[in-house]
Amino acid sequence: MKWPDAISIKQIALAFITGLMVLMSLIGGFAAYQTREVTRSLEQHNQNAAASELTSAVQRLLRQTDDQAANLAGWDETRQQLVLPEYYSYWRDQRVYESGMLPSRFVRVALYAPSGLLLAPSPAKNSLPARLPAGISLPSSWLVDEAGTTVLYHAFPVYIDERHQTLLGYGMIRLDFMPALLQQEALHFADKASVKLTLKPGENLPATKLLSRLAFNALPDPDRLRFQSILSRTLLALFVLLMAMSLLGFVVYNRLLVGPLRRLSQDIDAMQHGRFSPHSSRSQAMRISELENVRRSLYDYQLQLRELHGSLEHQNREFHSQARQDALTGCHNRRAYEEDWEKFRIELKNAPQGVAFLLFDCDRFKTINDTYGHAKGDRVLSIISDALVMALRANDRLYRLGGDEFATFLSRTTPAQAKQIAQRCQSLLDASVFSDLGINEPVGISIGIAFCAADQLEHINDLPKQADIAMYTAKQPGRTRIALYGEDTERASQTLVASRETSALFQALASPGMIEMHYQSIHALPGRKVDYYEALARIRYHNDLIMPDAFLPVVSSRRLEAGFDLAVLNQVDADLSSQQLPPGIGVSINLSAQSISHPEIVSQLLELSRHNARHPLMLEITETSLITQMAEVRTYLDLLRTVNYRIAMDDFGTGYSPLRYLVDLPVDVVKFDISLVNKLGQDNRASQVVADFARMMSDAGYSLVAEGVETDTILRKVESLGIAHVQGYLLSRPMPLAEVAARFDDQNAGVDCAV
Amino acid sequence: MRLYLLCLLMSVFPVAAHAAIVQQEMRPGIPANAEYLIGQRSKPAVLLLHGFLQTREFPTVATLARGLQDAGYTVLLPTLSLNIPNRMQSLACEAAHKHSMDDDVAEIGRWVDWLKSHGHHSIVLIGHSFGSLQLLAYLSTHPDPAIKAFIGASLVEAQIGTTSRQALIAQLEAHIQNKQRTLVTQSLSFCRKYTSTPEGLLSYVRWDQPRLLTTLKQMPTSVQLIMGDADGMLGQGWLKVLQHIQIPMVIVHGGSHFMDGEHEFDLLDHTLKFLEAHQQGSSR
Repeated sequence: MKWPDAISIKQIALAFITGLMVLMSLIGGFAAYQTREVTRSLEQHNQNAAASELTSAVQRLLRQTDDQAANLAGWDETRQQLVLPEYYSYWRDQRVYESGMLPSRFVRVALYAPSGLLLAPSPAKNSLPARLPAGISLPSSWLVDEAGTTVLYHAFPVYIDERHQTLLGYGMIRLDFMPALLQQEALHFADKASVKLTLKPGENLPATKLLSRLAFNALPDPDRLRFQSILSRTLLALFVLLMAMSLLGFVVYNRLLVGPLRRLSQDIDAMQHGRFSPHSSRSQAMRISELENVRRSLYDYQLQLRELHGSLEHQNREFHSQARQDALTGCHNRRAYEEDWEKFRIELKNAPQGVAFLLFDCDRFKTINDTYGHAKGDRVLSIISDALVMALRANDRLYRLGGDEFATFLSRTTPAQAKQIAQRCQSLLDASVFSDLGINEPVGISIGIAFCAADQLEHINDLPKQADIAMYTAKQPGRTRIALYGEDTERASQTLVASRETSALFQALASPGMIEMHYQSIHALPGRKVDYYEALARIRYHNDLIMPDAFLPVVSSRRLEAGFDLAVLNQVDADLSSQQLPPGIGVSINLSAQSISHPEIVSQLLELSRHNARHPLMLEITETSLITQMAEVRTYLDLLRTVNYRIAMDDFGTGYSPLRYLVDLPVDVVKFDISLVNKLGQDNRASQVVADFARMMSDAGYSLVAEGVETDTILRKVESLGIAHVQGYLLSRPMPLAEVAARFDDQNAGVDCAV
Repeated sequence: MRLYLLCLLMSVFPVAAHAAIVQQEMRPGIPANAEYLIGQRSKPAVLLLHGFLQTREFPTVATLARGLQDAGYTVLLPTLSLNIPNRMQSLACEAAHKHSMDDDVAEIGRWVDWLKSHGHHSIVLIGHSFGSLQLLAYLSTHPDPAIKAFIGASLVEAQIGTTSRQALIAQLEAHIQNKQRTLVTQSLSFCRKYTSTPEGLLSYVRWDQPRLLTTLKQMPTSVQLIMGDADGMLGQGWLKVLQHIQIPMVIVHGGSHFMDGEHEFDLLDHTLKFLEAHQQGSSR
């Protein structure tokens, strides 16, 4: 059985009233039952009383008859008649009544001789038997029916002496039984009219059996009837009164409690739904003091709530505004960006127009932060924000997406206008003064622009990603720091824009085995013998091989360096564990500087170091990446060197502060970037600088590797410079591990594996 | 305990031994009884007769009988049958009276005879009221040497009220002559409606004052009348008449017809005084 969640007070009242009525009905029924029982008891008592009374009356009548007979038997004149019956009729018809021996003439008497014969005939109407019934023992009483009249006879002996020794004769009393019985005034309970004694014709009923044959009804007891009537009226009145009281109570209850409570409930519901009626019932006073208190409290509470609501609305507006504002720079924050961008995209459906999305990122901001402190970094962001806001159009909004990244979207614009605004942003920022903060180096921003024409709005959702790619392009060394997607990022667009590669990257990070390591040999000079291999990552995605230049920008832009490097290390570990590479062949692994400071990477490297005995391992730290935590990185690199890792500075010559890195970090090998190596092929001062620098590095004890050697000219130049190792397509291309292993197998089989 | 029972028996037994109920059949089917109180043999036996329609239980005679017995006199206290077998109650005036003065006198004679048959040869007749009249009637017709004296208390004639006695007697005689057996009702003595056979009524009505006075004067034995001067039953001047003819008479001052109350003792005293005097006179 499921109970309702809540029941109303009116239902409770109805249930109470119903219960009360049921209870009253039960009590009334019980009272009626008890009344009936009492009535029955009284009726039974009345019947018993009538029976007792009638019994007494009969016995009294018989006793009276007995007494009369005794008196007659002892009466001198009776004896005289039995001896001298000359005046018997006088005695019988007059004397017995005048003397009071018999009470009335309804009672007759006759005398009989000792022979049993009547002394003299009786009058016809009061005839007594001419002879005493034979065989009866006297005295004796009996009843007979004589023409519908019940007659009681009582016969008695008359003796001449007191000792009853000499029988003188007999006497017999005759009386009409029913009148004699009923005329007694003692009958109060028996209904005289109902008293019946039915005798069969000729039946002679002894008086001793009279009571068993007497039928009667009890008189209705007026007290009982009155009692019953009063009780019934009282019960009915009580029931009607209680019903009326219940209904009245229900009405009063409704009026005083249910109605006000319902109004209060409705008001509370209205308040819950934020409807504040100025004409609320709460202004009307209630008759129940407690409800009145509640009403007043509710009324006051509503007023306070209304004030609070107003205050909250104001605060909400404030909070909404603050929640959409960046606390540091005062421009709009990421939440505002998301809301506005969503709203803007919806509006575009109704009003197609050219849209440009601009993404701003401060160059080398982390370096600035680390170098000058967070406070000054914050100030730099604030100045950048102010400059950008000033550069944007009046209705354009600037959003800080996080860190040093800002964005805006320009409506009703063209790519040229967007580029123009971007250039204005850079110009204003360049004009900003940072020297007050003690920052003397230039602070610039890279700007990625993505544009969507009015007729291509179905691609509007791609704008942020495209701007991100463009911004990455803009940040590439040698760029103008402003890149328009599509124009400046053709290559990048082929790699980054496609969500396929991005999806492949994320799947590869989540699913071990998708990253496939290709190994490119590094040859020792002179002799060009393979000394070790550089492990280069590829992603195997639906039987296609995705190259690093397609997914590395995504890794960088999504800050996935640590996860990606960890996956690479796991795969290298698996390759080395397969022991497909011959012993003594080293392996060089690329790591981003950010990963070096990651504990899991260091832990994995320590685990991987177990292969050092079979395969000398080298870590290549990309010089182009920004190392912000120099001391920490150095500590980790020192640790890794203790487990026989060699440290190489990769892409040397393309990044920031290369000399500082060489000085501060424990570098064993320096790999000259292809851009530097290609300089060697030129016949100019740049070639000379590079050659001198290479000799200087070699003299300083660094082992050098020339990357990207693709021509014999450059190879010879490299050899002439005394560079220890060389790497490039000229000598070998990266190949899968199985292929490398096959080559070694062939080599072991006496096949020349020279490339 | 045994001693107590012995004393009780000794005290009760003499009384029982000195009283008895005796019965005689006066006529066929009409027994009558008397109480026989035995006294001293040296003293005369007393036949004490009750008044009109009364029994021996009537207080005046019953008290007097006890007093006489206490004084040593044998007392026979009969109840006239009035032709009722073993009559034990005062007979109502309205009853069918079938008795007569002759019946009464005969019964008195039977009781005198009974006394004599029981060895009492000195008998004193004492009557009260109408009983005195009946004893006089007996004495007038049955003179007996054994009867030594007559005491009549509250002696009264057969009073018939305001009815003319002669006319009544004539009427009754006519009834008798015509053999009319119808009961007649007449005022007699204290009865207003005395119902009787004509013969019976006539036998009483004949005893008027003159006949009574005559009989008194002719008494063959000693006579003593004891009368109360407050007797309402007596006819006016009756006491003076009695005094006038010089009948020995004691008047009890304040005594009523029934000599009740304190006058019971006066009656007894005067009776005993007469009896003692008469006995002393006889012994001389």
